[in-house]
Amino acid sequence: MIALSELNSCKILAEAIADYIPGGITFGYIDGDTIEWVKSSQKFDIELFKVGYKLGADTGTMKTIRENKVIIQDVPRSVYGMRLTIISIPVVNDNGQAVGAMAIVFPKLHPVAASFNDFAPIVTEMFHEGSFMFMTDLTQVAYRQASSKFDMPSIAIGTKISTDDLPYKVIQSKQPMSYDVDETKWGVPIYAACFPLFEDEEKQNIVATLNVILPKVTAHTLREMANNLESGLSGISAAIEELTSSASEIHINEQSLNDSITEIIGITEQINDVSAFIKEIADETKMLGLNAAIEAARAGDAGRGFGVVAEEIRKLSDQSKSTVPKITELTNNIKIKVEEASRKSLSSLSATQEQAAATEEITASLEEISAMSEELAKIAQQL
Amino acid sequence: MSNSQYVIFSLGEEEYGINISYAQEIMRVPGQITKLPNMPAYIDGVFNLRGKVIPIIDLKKRFDFAQTERNADNRLLVIDLGNMLVGTIVDDVSEVLMIDEASIENLYSEIAGIGKNCIQGICNMGDRLIVLLDALKMKEEVFQNH
Repeated sequence: MIALSELNSCKILAEAIADYIPGGITFGYIDGDTIEWVKSSQKFDIELFKVGYKLGADTGTMKTIRENKVIIQDVPRSVYGMRLTIISIPVVNDNGQAVGAMAIVFPKLHPVAASFNDFAPIVTEMFHEGSFMFMTDLTQVAYRQASSKFDMPSIAIGTKISTDDLPYKVIQSKQPMSYDVDETKWGVPIYAACFPLFEDEEKQNIVATLNVILPKVTAHTLREMANNLESGLSGISAAIEELTSSASEIHINEQSLNDSITEIIGITEQINDVSAFIKEIADETKMLGLNAAIEAARAGDAGRGFGVVAEEIRKLSDQSKSTVPKITELTNNIKIKVEEASRKSLSSLSATQEQAAATEEITASLEEISAMSEELAKIAQQL
Repeated sequence: MSNSQYVIFSLGEEEYGINISYAQEIMRVPGQITKLPNMPAYIDGVFNLRGKVIPIIDLKKRFDFAQTERNADNRLLVIDLGNMLVGTIVDDVSEVLMIDEASIENLYSEIAGIGKNCIQGICNMGDRLIVLLDALKMKEEVFQNH
């Protein structure tokens, strides 16, 4: 307690040190129930705490005067608009009776909040896409800091926390939380992290939250590209599979083509056999005709008519025989063409085999690329 | 002016003709020819023609022409040389032709002498020349000693 006679010394002391207390301080002397003297630091001032203000009976200071003892009291934000710690020391007269009280008022500010305006402008600029930081108390946004590249104008000082908001959940759970939000909510995809700030070492009394919001446009774009790449690749894979199956169909067709060609060669050989037989008959007919002509000549005039028939037979045989080289030529042409076709089909056979090998290689490469794009998508997720 | 029928056959590239009255028949060269000992090279041997044994003469050999491989087109022209049948192997018998006697040119004796005396004449048909053989003279020539 302070003796009334020493009050002036106290006031002088208070006035001397007020501006040297980090975070600021306000001293006040309450005489009876009315503020009689106030000294505030430049950093910290309370609107209501002015000379002439009458204190309510329920205040800690009045209790100090009544009970004549030092009382240290935490005042919630609802009273003076900010959290305060008020130390009330009774001032006694010569008889030891409390006649007033010296009140020492400290603003109660979390160290992170106290330094927010110092570190936030620096930290927010540290991310390549920019960032946004803000702090809330238990009900509303108290501090905000945008970066040159990124801002969230809808989060202003004084914006109330709704039950859907991350800070609300953190205040409820007292645990740090974070999540990714896609572009539908804020126009850009973001990563939001919220950390609870406690008044006490035991982390029981949560007083504020610190929030960091990072835009994730690059990561999002990267992830989308990786996904597109993957779907594109699976399309290519499907196309190649079709190609492979049609190539094997071509292979089968070529084989049956080759078989047919072999059959055709066999058939032309049969035709040649037939034409050899025609030649045989023609030769035979010719001899028959010639012999008939000889017989007719021998018969003299009587054989003349028969001679004409013999001559016709011979001519007919010549005509029949002349078809043989034509047939042979035709079958030879067929053979040449068919052999050419066979050569070509064999070369397409080997080409389809090469094609099959090439598509296998492509498939292997695609699988590799596909795995890489999956990896890429994973990395983008982690960014 | 008279016409005669000739049996036309070929020896190599050249065409020959023999009067049809000497021709007996035309047939394939028989598969079985019986060789005879001590015969000149142009006598192939003998064969059985329906019960008659007749000699076979290779005319190309006899005329000293370039020899060619025998094939299925070779024919045996059986000639009746007056009481004697002779088979002659020729390259092909092509036709029986009516030849105008007027178109037959006789060879000068100098040239005829080179070809011995079996050439009756040359039939000039424009694009083809047919050497006509005299069958009776051929008989003397063929069977004279070489």
